[in-house]
Amino acid sequence: MLFRRDKLLILLAALMPIVLMSLAGGTQSLRLRNVPLLVYDYDNTPLSRTYLETYGAALSFKIVPRRTDESPERALASWRGRAALIIPPNFERDFRRGAAPVVQLMIDATDSNAATALGNYAQSLNINFARKNGIDVPSPNRVRMQQRLWFNPGLSNRLYFGSGAMGLMLIIFPALLGALTTAKEYETGTIIQAYASSLTAVQWILGKALLYVVIGIVEFIVCFALGLIAFEYRFPTDPSVLIVATFLYLLAGVFFGMMMGNANKTQSAAIQGVQMGSFLLSMLLSGYLFAIRNIPEQIRWVSSFLPATHYIQIVRNSILRDVGWGTSLQPMLMLLGLAFLFFMVNVIQMRKMQFQD
Amino acid sequence: MPAAVRRYLALATKEVQQLRRNRVLLIQLMLPPTIVLIIFGYALNPRVRDLRLGVVDESLTAESRQLVDSLTENVNFEVKHRYVRADEAEAALNRLELDLFIVIPSDFSRVVQRGQTATIQVVIDAVDANTAQIAQGYLGLAMDDYNNLNTEAPLPNYRYRAVLARAGIPAPRPGVPEVRAAYLYNPGLVTSWHYVTGIMSIIMFINASLVASALAVKEKETGTIEQLLMTPAQTGEMLLAKTSPVFVLMMVVLFVALGVGMLVFGVPVRGDLWLFAVAGACAVLAGTGIGVTIATFSKSQQQAQLLTFFVNPPITLLSGATSPLENMPEFFQKLSYFDPLRYLVTIVRGVTLKDAPWSALWPNLVALATFAVILFAISAWRFRKQ
Repeated sequence: MLFRRDKLLILLAALMPIVLMSLAGGTQSLRLRNVPLLVYDYDNTPLSRTYLETYGAALSFKIVPRRTDESPERALASWRGRAALIIPPNFERDFRRGAAPVVQLMIDATDSNAATALGNYAQSLNINFARKNGIDVPSPNRVRMQQRLWFNPGLSNRLYFGSGAMGLMLIIFPALLGALTTAKEYETGTIIQAYASSLTAVQWILGKALLYVVIGIVEFIVCFALGLIAFEYRFPTDPSVLIVATFLYLLAGVFFGMMMGNANKTQSAAIQGVQMGSFLLSMLLSGYLFAIRNIPEQIRWVSSFLPATHYIQIVRNSILRDVGWGTSLQPMLMLLGLAFLFFMVNVIQMRKMQFQD
Repeated sequence: MPAAVRRYLALATKEVQQLRRNRVLLIQLMLPPTIVLIIFGYALNPRVRDLRLGVVDESLTAESRQLVDSLTENVNFEVKHRYVRADEAEAALNRLELDLFIVIPSDFSRVVQRGQTATIQVVIDAVDANTAQIAQGYLGLAMDDYNNLNTEAPLPNYRYRAVLARAGIPAPRPGVPEVRAAYLYNPGLVTSWHYVTGIMSIIMFINASLVASALAVKEKETGTIEQLLMTPAQTGEMLLAKTSPVFVLMMVVLFVALGVGMLVFGVPVRGDLWLFAVAGACAVLAGTGIGVTIATFSKSQQQAQLLTFFVNPPITLLSGATSPLENMPEFFQKLSYFDPLRYLVTIVRGVTLKDAPWSALWPNLVALATFAVILFAISAWRFRKQ
């Protein structure tokens, strides 16, 4: 009832997953493209220009115009480029003489990950240049690699982040709604009615949770449709894994939200708890952005307590890898365990309060 | 003392007392810049390492072992398991026990000894496109190493070659250019700096909007707003009194966050601290503006908080705090110019990590200040209307 009267809520619950998921799936990417590169060519010979072309042709770099009176340090400090390539005078002469000329690449390393990748990338471009110009002939290949990229042969980032984004969407809303209604009962004092009624704690919790799980399922359908359109989702051969996992995940999310509501008893505090506990933690520690094994061991255990960690894994297993129950069994059990854990906390919270009054 | 100031002080005292009683809110204000910042600073690490490698060695010869050795010399690969048959490795990859595996064919050593090119197969789990790409790079390097092993002696250095050339023996071979990379601002390539400065900015902005909306709507919800409207205070004074304690608190939060960043992660402050403070103040103002505006649109705290919750994630995702802006599709890059947080992130990083020149910072500061003024003005106008 509460939900039906709140038009704003309905609108948001329906609209926002689409907007948010497009953002969460579309904006995050660790793959470097079109990195602005400033070029300082002090040699200005045909060879130095050929060398620059190697960088200009690469997808990762984009040569941007520079000001003539500005030093590379200053230009980098002003965000005019991410890296500056400096070709010394006598580049061609040294090259012909056989003295290896040194080219300097200054990289803005405020984002250390991107900087490392750029440095490595420049090295490989350099080797390419040398090979193309007939020097550094590679030794006869004794071994050749034949690569197979399984599950994502196009190395599409959208597929990866898009599948993670769905996990993110489905934890925010159910948890939020669960937290809000529960906290609201305390704020308005209607929780007393629940205590006074013949409802048991378990009935009360399940009754409340059910509605939000249903909303969550609608959201799942919306998100999946969006995924099919925009994020190259594929239908899994065995959809039962994904369906069961989604149900458990939504339950875990709602129970988590209600737990927050029970614990905080005010709506604003409950929302902050959910924002921290489900949105921020899930966004950063669940494997949506970075692989979990990169997290230092001291805090890696936090990831195991996030339902999103396990759900995102199952989503990727089903949609991308198209593997069945065997692979997803362990994360599924973890999801079940977490849903049950959050449920039990709810029951305990409710019991305690009923004794107090 | 003019009447307006007296009224403002009276209202501000009321707000401060209300805030003081609101312990939960105070804790929530202080938690993010300390514990959360520390966790995220340590946890966010995109560097790929310890890739789990499976080896299917059908050759089992000295040559194949040498190849595997040259792969494992690379610290990024860790041989998880050796398999006898390829389909066992495939099954393991399917069970997510491996990130990649190589198959060395049974005729490997014979082909290599004959001087022909042997082919090995590599299968990579490419679901995480970024990791797969990096793994490919590592593999390529390891292969180069192996191929260069046991080949003829490396080229003599260029002086010696010049001597030879002068004697007319062979023509000098051109010198391979060498790229020397200099990593500015963060020569140690500390990963956490980038994220700590980003999260710091996010916390400032989001907390301001959350707290402001909660406080502004509370009067409406409890009905005390009518009492407020009956006082001789003007709406402007009311709004100012309501937001100034939040503003002061958020400024404290700002410097606590910076202190944590400096102490725990060693984030440097290379630029002017006052610029950091001014940018932070503008961001708090903008965040407060968003919060109050949202509050005026909503009937209850529930709605207000929900709305902020919907406004904030897009602002966070588009700001470039977690993922570089250049990587985004064109459309999102353009959209990010409408994101006030983008400018704050730029200034915070400019002041702390890279002592950016004033000429580069002021456009960002102006943009941020404009957002702050506009958003705050909208909130004042909406607040008056209600």
